[in-house]
Amino acid sequence: MDLLDAHLIPAVDGVAFGLLLFVVAAGLSLAFGTAGVLNLSHGTLYAIGAYTGAELSDGTWGGLALGLAAGTAAACVAGAGLSAATAPLARRGHLAQALLTFGLALIGGDLLIQFFGADELPVRVPEALDSSVTLLGHRYPAYRLCFIVMAVLLAAFGTWVLTRTRMGAAVRAAADDPQMLAATGHSPRAVHTGVLAAAGALAGAAGVLGAPIIGPGPGTSETVLMLSLVVVVLGGLRSLWATFFAAVAVGEVQTLGVSVAPDLAPYLLFAAMAAVLVLRSRFAEPATAHGPEGPAPDPVARLRSHLAARLRRRPRGAAGSGAAAEAPGAVEAREASEGDRIVIAPRTGRSLLPAWTGRLPGGAAWRQAAPLLVLLVVLIALPALLDAYSISLAGSALALGLLAVSVTILTGYAGLPTLGQTAPFAVGAYATANLADAGWTVGPVQIVLSALAAAVFSAVVGPAVIRARGTTVLMITLAIGELTGAVVNQLKSVTGGADGLVGFPATRALWGGEGMLEESELYNYALVVAVVAVAVTLLVLRSPAGKLLTGTRGAEARMRASGHPVGRYLLVAHVCAGALAGVGGSLMVTVQQYLSPADVGFEIAAFALLAVVIGGTTSVIGALLGAGLIVATRDWVAGSWPGHGPLLLGVLFVATVYVLPRGLAGLRSGGSGGGSGPSRDASRAEDQPPPAPLSAPAGKVSP
Amino acid sequence: MLELTGLTAGYHGGTVLHSLDLSVPAGTVHAVVGHNGAGKTTLVHTVAGLMRPSAGTVTLDGHEVTGRPAHRIARAGIGLVPQGRRVFAGLTVDEHLRLSYRPPHRGDTTRPSVWTPARVLELLPRLGERRGNRGTDLSGGEQQMLALARALLGSPRVLLLDEPTEGLAPVLVRQVNELVTTLAAEGIAVLLVSPSPAQAVESARALTVLTSGRMTLRMTGEEARADATSLHAALELTATAV
Amino acid sequence: MTPAPTPAASAPEPAPPVLDLTRLTRRYGTLTAVDDVGLRLSAGARHAVIGPNGAGKTTLLNLIAGTDRPDHGTITLDGTDITVTPTARRSRLGIARSFQQLSVIADLSVLDNIVLAGWPHHPKRRGAWRSPSRYRLHTESAGRHLETVGLADLAHRPASTLSHGQRRMLDLAAALAGNPRLLLLDEPAAGLTDGDIGRLLGILGGLPASVAVILVEHHVEVVAQLASSVTVLAAGKVLVTGPTQEVLAHPEVRDAYHGTGSTAGPGHARGTGIPTVRPSATEAASVTEARG
Repeated sequence: MDLLDAHLIPAVDGVAFGLLLFVVAAGLSLAFGTAGVLNLSHGTLYAIGAYTGAELSDGTWGGLALGLAAGTAAACVAGAGLSAATAPLARRGHLAQALLTFGLALIGGDLLIQFFGADELPVRVPEALDSSVTLLGHRYPAYRLCFIVMAVLLAAFGTWVLTRTRMGAAVRAAADDPQMLAATGHSPRAVHTGVLAAAGALAGAAGVLGAPIIGPGPGTSETVLMLSLVVVVLGGLRSLWATFFAAVAVGEVQTLGVSVAPDLAPYLLFAAMAAVLVLRSRFAEPATAHGPEGPAPDPVARLRSHLAARLRRRPRGAAGSGAAAEAPGAVEAREASEGDRIVIAPRTGRSLLPAWTGRLPGGAAWRQAAPLLVLLVVLIALPALLDAYSISLAGSALALGLLAVSVTILTGYAGLPTLGQTAPFAVGAYATANLADAGWTVGPVQIVLSALAAAVFSAVVGPAVIRARGTTVLMITLAIGELTGAVVNQLKSVTGGADGLVGFPATRALWGGEGMLEESELYNYALVVAVVAVAVTLLVLRSPAGKLLTGTRGAEARMRASGHPVGRYLLVAHVCAGALAGVGGSLMVTVQQYLSPADVGFEIAAFALLAVVIGGTTSVIGALLGAGLIVATRDWVAGSWPGHGPLLLGVLFVATVYVLPRGLAGLRSGGSGGGSGPSRDASRAEDQPPPAPLSAPAGKVSP
Repeated sequence: MLELTGLTAGYHGGTVLHSLDLSVPAGTVHAVVGHNGAGKTTLVHTVAGLMRPSAGTVTLDGHEVTGRPAHRIARAGIGLVPQGRRVFAGLTVDEHLRLSYRPPHRGDTTRPSVWTPARVLELLPRLGERRGNRGTDLSGGEQQMLALARALLGSPRVLLLDEPTEGLAPVLVRQVNELVTTLAAEGIAVLLVSPSPAQAVESARALTVLTSGRMTLRMTGEEARADATSLHAALELTATAV
Repeated sequence: MTPAPTPAASAPEPAPPVLDLTRLTRRYGTLTAVDDVGLRLSAGARHAVIGPNGAGKTTLLNLIAGTDRPDHGTITLDGTDITVTPTARRSRLGIARSFQQLSVIADLSVLDNIVLAGWPHHPKRRGAWRSPSRYRLHTESAGRHLETVGLADLAHRPASTLSHGQRRMLDLAAALAGNPRLLLLDEPAAGLTDGDIGRLLGILGGLPASVAVILVEHHVEVVAQLASSVTVLAAGKVLVTGPTQEVLAHPEVRDAYHGTGSTAGPGHARGTGIPTVRPSATEAASVTEARG
């Protein structure tokens, strides 16, 4: 009873917080499920509402009502604007749309700070509510109780519209089959716009009403986006009830969790999400071919049916392990006995064989390698051309470039578009900083240990990532990256918290050497490490292993049916990419000689993905160039217009998505870029427009 | 009256349908027969506005609707019963009916007949028994009825039926064929697409054989019923010419 | 419930079945796609599964291949229960399949498609991911499979440039590349031209006698030519199982499947006197018959 007593207030707070998240996350989930837009500017919509509400709040009911009307309307208009902005990209898949909203979020965040200032705005709730009421012997702010009531009404109204009205039926039909919705005379475009506008309105209303809970400030949009993404990931898509329970759970973790276990609170959210994701991936096991009778059911439905199946089925561990134990032997025996099994055709094709196995003619190989060599020469020459500040920037660009290359591996080759590679990047960076602090200053040792640490981290979170596909991966990885950022901020003993780490000994390039302090020295060290890392990456990607990844991305069901352990390939790719990001993190620390949470935060994740998008998702050299362009934009161009880095990058983001559909690699029409394999968009089948009907086989295209 | 002139369509880089001319007067059934891959579904999708033609026109009662978005074409009076039914998985039968019901504008007296949910349920009583069931919980035949109901509730002038008897039991095939005749008698122009001429020959006023996206034979229903040989010759050609 | 069709070739000795399905059931919501299906195949069996669309044929293949899991029942391969074994492992145990919805790796060459498909089954698979010389060994056997299906000339074309029929052949070659003991074919003749169906029949007819085949197919002619036994599914249930000729002549089957109960042959539609020409090739034969 005492326990209940002590935690009653945080528990009620958790409900209020959870309801707030539900209203926001429901809009996010709806927009994704119906219009296919993963709206990474959803937090900004909330912020618009929150700023508007705070600005208009004057302690009266009228002020609240006015703020509610204005904030909702503003966010609703912004949502409709998003729909207009993303619609032209609909043919290019969900990834392009998500990236666009990301760019718009950067721009929107900058503009909000322009209008309302960089400080948190105070909110004045109506005086009648600015008091406390007694709740089971505790004093509790009246406004929060009022908020709970309003949020419940809002949620109930939204649910009613979605499930009981013709409009709601149209929304659900649009999520299922937009073409057939159009064939019944409803415009899917209009439904999408309506959904995004409604999602914006919900976020805006939540922003106005929730401003006293998550107040308007520079970090608001990021916090809200992160928490609502976690809610959506936990709750799965399309089921409002699951979203609701996930929202309340997250709310309780953030309030009750802090009050019950203050030390563990920062990790609780992470742990909860990891647990749910891993559990879900267990039950969603055969993530493969679409059934013939229609598209594959959504992951949540699959989870549910599998869960039900598992619960009904008796344990069958013995049989399964028996099969596992016998398998290798059986395969070997079979192979031994059937070398001559299916040899039907006469072996007349001998003359063809050398041609199949032949490599690229020398000329082509040179043409492919040329851009890389040119880049290498330029990079080697850089110290002679630039001033010290610019050289250190170039060093950072190399570190960021490695991060971008790791994103390319996952996004372009493995087909897992990721916004979470800052997590292993951070692990590598903090590992190096701590190693240096402990006296381990030899560069190669730092690099290898950092890579190892990042690889271990990636191996741990990998199972949660590799089961998902398409835009869902973006969502999950973003949540992982954000939660890692949250942990970085909390774990002061290792990370120095928000202050970061500084003053650790400089890295020595090799055993017995001196600590490197000169910018050009550091740059050369970074260049050598980066060249080795990129060379290894390119060799692996161009080896048959790269084909395994390409095959997995291109026809996963076929690969599974042919006996490839697809999950293992993706996990290995995830771990290797993590290690590469770890190397990047280690380099960054070495070059910068300090480390702050901002170096591994949301923006860096955005930069890395932007670099990859600029580069063309499957081009390693493109990713490196993209990273250089971003650092140049952020630190040189923005240097002459302080405080507007995000705005410039947002514009760069938006421009890239619109103007360069296939990135820089797309400019070199026909030829594939250095180290680039497949030239198609990274998004998987689920992200593509509906396949052409069977009556139009691609055969008609062939000469 | 549906009229297609020089209709040409395809997917990135490949033309699937080559300059097709075709007209379906109100109250008649025009069957398009061809093998898989002959361009039948492309034809239906292009007329319905789900694909944009690269050349040619689609005219509905004298008004050109070429290239308009699909929902406008649907509102103009072209109803689509797609291959594979494609009922909405998450919607109940009742919701399908409510969502699809689109009475013609007041004053629009040119529709062959006006369909209300009540009238559709009268025609397809089986759906009335499954009103609370979701689309995916229906049998194949029921899904086909639902897809037909969905198209009818727009009170169409033209009905596009893409392989409506695919995978149905014989008794249901007969029922669908009777429905097609009934609907044509209501004054609806029916464009029926089918891989098999059997269904087509039974009810069609005219018949077109499509081979690799091109018309290879056009005959009236009587001719087809009287002279099966040339029809089959055309279809045999279809099988080998690809 | 568990009829055991024995192909004509099988000897009377109690050889253990290659595949044994018992009381297999798979439900999706309220729909029972596969309902209490039993089936037993011995090595070298040529078994067809036919039935109308939605009868559960592909679901049954998915259950055997492991892309779907049954709610009830067991799947045994060579005496080993593989009911919950993952797809990839089943493939390495000798189950291969073709896909109804074609599954080729568009970004890779035709040859690479087959190399990847044969990779996990190749004696020299270890290390092939990093060693080009070992990889080259794979291309030789892959080349032979391409010759089998007649795609050797296109080995270096990107798979994305293949026609529908060529993709079907590529998919078939990918299934054969694993030298399977049990081959699951999901409508291999769908959308094929005459010539392609002829080649398909040739390839499948030339399969080693020890390979068991389950063929899901709409073309009765293909079934009649390849299969020695047939199971008819309707609404997920086994309607009848038995030797091909008997089953195809079964009145209930003719009624349910051909839509004709009364007329002379399966090729004739009721009343019109016009043979039903089903999409594509082998019908050409039936049409000729009808006229001749």
